[in-house]
Amino acid sequence: ILDSFNDLYTSYVIFCILLMSVVILVISVFNVEFYAVVPSIPCSRLALIGKIIHPQQVLHSLVHAVMGMLVAWCAAVMTKGKFQFLAVPCTCSESLDDAVPQMCLNEYHLFFLLSGAFMGYSYSLLYLVNNMNYLPFPIIQQYKYLRFRRSVPLLIKHSCVESLYLVRNFCVAYYFFGYVPRVWISTTMDLHIDSKLHLLDTLTGLLDLSLLYHAWLCGVFLLITWYIAWLLFKIYATETHHFPVQPTFAEETDQCLPKILNSNPPLIIKFLALQDLMLLSQYSPVRRQEVFSLSQPGGHPHNWTAISKECLSLLNDLTQRLITQQEAAAANGRAKQPSGELKISPQTPGAIVTEDMSFQLQRSNVIPRAPMPSLVKSSLLPLKMSPGSDIGTPFSSPVSNCKVGVLDLNSPWHGSVQSPHVMRRGPKLWTSHSDLQMNGSHQESFPVLSVARAGSEAVQPSFIYTWLQNKQEQIKSFLSKRVLIMYFFSKHPEASIQAVFSDAQMHIWALEGLSHLVASSFTEDQFGVVQTTLPAILNTLLTLQEVVDRHFKLPHVSSKPPRISGSLVDTSYKTLRFALRASLKTALYRITTVFGEHLNAVQVSTEHKKRLQQFLEYKE
Amino acid sequence: AGCTIRAFAWHPHTSKFAVALLDDSIRVYNANSATIPTLKHRLQRNVAAMAWKPLCASILAVACQSCVLVWHLDPTSLSTRPSSGCAQVLSYPGHSPVTSLAWAPSGELLLSASPVDTAMLVWDVSTENCVQLQWFGGGGVTYLAWSPDGSKVLAATPSAVFRVWEAQMWTCERWPTIKGRCQTGCWSPDGSRLLFTVLGESVIYSLSFSEYRGEMQGQVGGSKTASIVADLSETTFETLYGEERIGGEVHSMVWDPSGERLAVIIRGNPDVPESPTVIAVFRTRNSPVFELLPCGFLRGERGAQPQLLAFHPCFKKGALLTVCWSTGKISHIPFFFVSAQIPCFSPGRSPVAAMASASVREQPLFSEL
Repeated sequence: ILDSFNDLYTSYVIFCILLMSVVILVISVFNVEFYAVVPSIPCSRLALIGKIIHPQQVLHSLVHAVMGMLVAWCAAVMTKGKFQFLAVPCTCSESLDDAVPQMCLNEYHLFFLLSGAFMGYSYSLLYLVNNMNYLPFPIIQQYKYLRFRRSVPLLIKHSCVESLYLVRNFCVAYYFFGYVPRVWISTTMDLHIDSKLHLLDTLTGLLDLSLLYHAWLCGVFLLITWYIAWLLFKIYATETHHFPVQPTFAEETDQCLPKILNSNPPLIIKFLALQDLMLLSQYSPVRRQEVFSLSQPGGHPHNWTAISKECLSLLNDLTQRLITQQEAAAANGRAKQPSGELKISPQTPGAIVTEDMSFQLQRSNVIPRAPMPSLVKSSLLPLKMSPGSDIGTPFSSPVSNCKVGVLDLNSPWHGSVQSPHVMRRGPKLWTSHSDLQMNGSHQESFPVLSVARAGSEAVQPSFIYTWLQNKQEQIKSFLSKRVLIMYFFSKHPEASIQAVFSDAQMHIWALEGLSHLVASSFTEDQFGVVQTTLPAILNTLLTLQEVVDRHFKLPHVSSKPPRISGSLVDTSYKTLRFALRASLKTALYRITTVFGEHLNAVQVSTEHKKRLQQFLEYKE
Repeated sequence: AGCTIRAFAWHPHTSKFAVALLDDSIRVYNANSATIPTLKHRLQRNVAAMAWKPLCASILAVACQSCVLVWHLDPTSLSTRPSSGCAQVLSYPGHSPVTSLAWAPSGELLLSASPVDTAMLVWDVSTENCVQLQWFGGGGVTYLAWSPDGSKVLAATPSAVFRVWEAQMWTCERWPTIKGRCQTGCWSPDGSRLLFTVLGESVIYSLSFSEYRGEMQGQVGGSKTASIVADLSETTFETLYGEERIGGEVHSMVWDPSGERLAVIIRGNPDVPESPTVIAVFRTRNSPVFELLPCGFLRGERGAQPQLLAFHPCFKKGALLTVCWSTGKISHIPFFFVSAQIPCFSPGRSPVAAMASASVREQPLFSEL
């Protein structure tokens, strides 16, 4: 033991330690550069391949491979023994009576370096595939040290097991391709191959236990240090940050919560701000008072307005996205329709119903489909118009529009009516991103246009456009028959569902924060700032709940991905949609439980009133 | 032991309760509907505890031998046998048998604990993620109770130590008891007082906690020592039927959600065979000062021992105590009084009164302190 302590002080070891700290630094820099709070989920195999060959990823893998090689070199040098040098004097030089002994390649050393590079590269690949750059936020708050201490045993166990797999894989790779680097190095550095020792790319060479043990140990060390760096980064990055609600100093104005939520900060700041909102709404009466307070001259509830506006716009955004997705899924299964058909939507008294037309996108020729409930359309439209209205009173317009939007549920819309909007979509064999984008943008512009127009006019698309569309459809149908193309292009359903909900963590926090604030406003709100926004909040929540319920009826959405317990990598992004659904329901119940029968006095549409009654009776 | 009812749980917002029977089936009785769904699952064995999820229509968590089952029932369905597909299985290696469960009052997290596992699990049920809360010393957890305001959790261990965790940053305080393990405990509605009893002693202890404010991160805030608030050792009462000796160790204790009534099962002297097991009811008040006054005794039919107690979570006219007797009968005993607290909202129906008759002998007793 004394010997090993003495060894520690040699310059070699200190140099190696310095080099390894540099390695860790580089790894941490890469962690910081590549993190993401919203996981990017490849929806098809082509997307996955695209991710792998992306230049950023290639750089990541290269650097990790080089780092791995450096770590292996340090480990080899520190171990001494037969691994230390790349070139050693050959053992068979006695027969040749040379003055200078020949230098042979120390294949063990080469094996070590290459195994380090291979492990670095595999780490980088696993990092990509498992979405290790995703920062999961913890479900309960704990002090950083406790979180770290809790994860360490699992980390060590996982590193040991993974290193075993990596060594095995590398042995297989070396068995087949090991001669390439060996020959290359020996020719470039003018070293001879030692014929006395076994060549390492044979079975007898590879079954050297000490070699395997050392390689495994090096792998364990490499993985442990890299995983610890990754874990520490995760813990520090997802730590709760305290954002002041009311700025006390002028410099802090940019950092206060309402300002941050309303501007467009980098995504991690937004996440941290929403997490802070969630925590303050539950645990901090003092900060809640600041939220409910009025501004000094003037008496405007700026804080509450900003916070609730941002939360509601987030939720409306999600509602829109889900509706778009649902319509894409619905139109997917349609058979090809003759493109010349067009019917003019009948004029109905009252401009309100024409606004509904913008959302009918289904043709009922093939399968009669129940119309999207009008409450969804009517409640979305007024909120859509709110970006146009003045920021000062964003909630007066939705409230008044909601009153306008209370229309009879038996709308004169029948299945045979089609809107000109449907023409442009055409039947699809699969959805592609550009189509969704096109439809999404059309939807957003259409309601504004339809309100401007007095009545709906039939728009006749030009002939060239229809011809182009036809050609596009023909090419697509031809390609879809090629199995190989479909193998790469087909969307994995589970992955595409996860992709829609990939940033749902923001919405979950917005829901929890908003509902806790509303619930505590029952007793703590002195000025009644929450009451005026209550109809809008209830509208948004009920609409979102309906859309989410409908979304869960689509195929594959309600099936849970298999859970692997005890894995190091966090896969919570795969089940975010269930968390969203549960927290949405809990948020609604929280509000109805606190307010109770008083909710009947709030102005909401009759359809919403019926649903609220279901919530009040705990029948939902 | 010797009872056909294993566990009982009232729904926190409606007049609905679940009863776990000896044959590992669970029946859900609803005051508003005549159908009685029976829940069975192949993993549902040795049910030890049940808890309804707060702020929800009907999600029931069941502590089983090897896992925690979370049933997602449809509140409007009329089926009497919900399929096993409605049950979500939450299991963790090494965490069995699960004997205690507690939902967070804000409805998001579920705590599960086992006497052989030194780690409590905090589950996020919808994503099936769990976080282990480890501690050292004391063994597993025998009793879990979450305070109604959501700020603290009592975790009693089989050894002479219990812990109180605060639910924001999940740090804990250790409380060593002198004689034995903490048998049972209950929280006041605002989470500022914990009443607990120790195995082998016939007293009720009280531990007060400083009022929870968000700035006190990471501190439980308990007072230095616990004080004795009630002595339940044997005393002799003069009744119409002669002298009676009542008193002894506490088996279980529940506090009504309005904080006005405390019900305690007192096991009589084990050396004397005829010593009865009675339920003592106390009148309590938590603010401005803590007050505990004896109110009366409850006794069931001849030969029936009370096993489980529960108060109805939102009885608007006072308090409703549900007792599960060893004969398999469940009786509901109402206490009508005007509560000093703000009543919680619930659908405007009063629950069905007693399901089986129970003879109640109330003897008002007051003692001047």
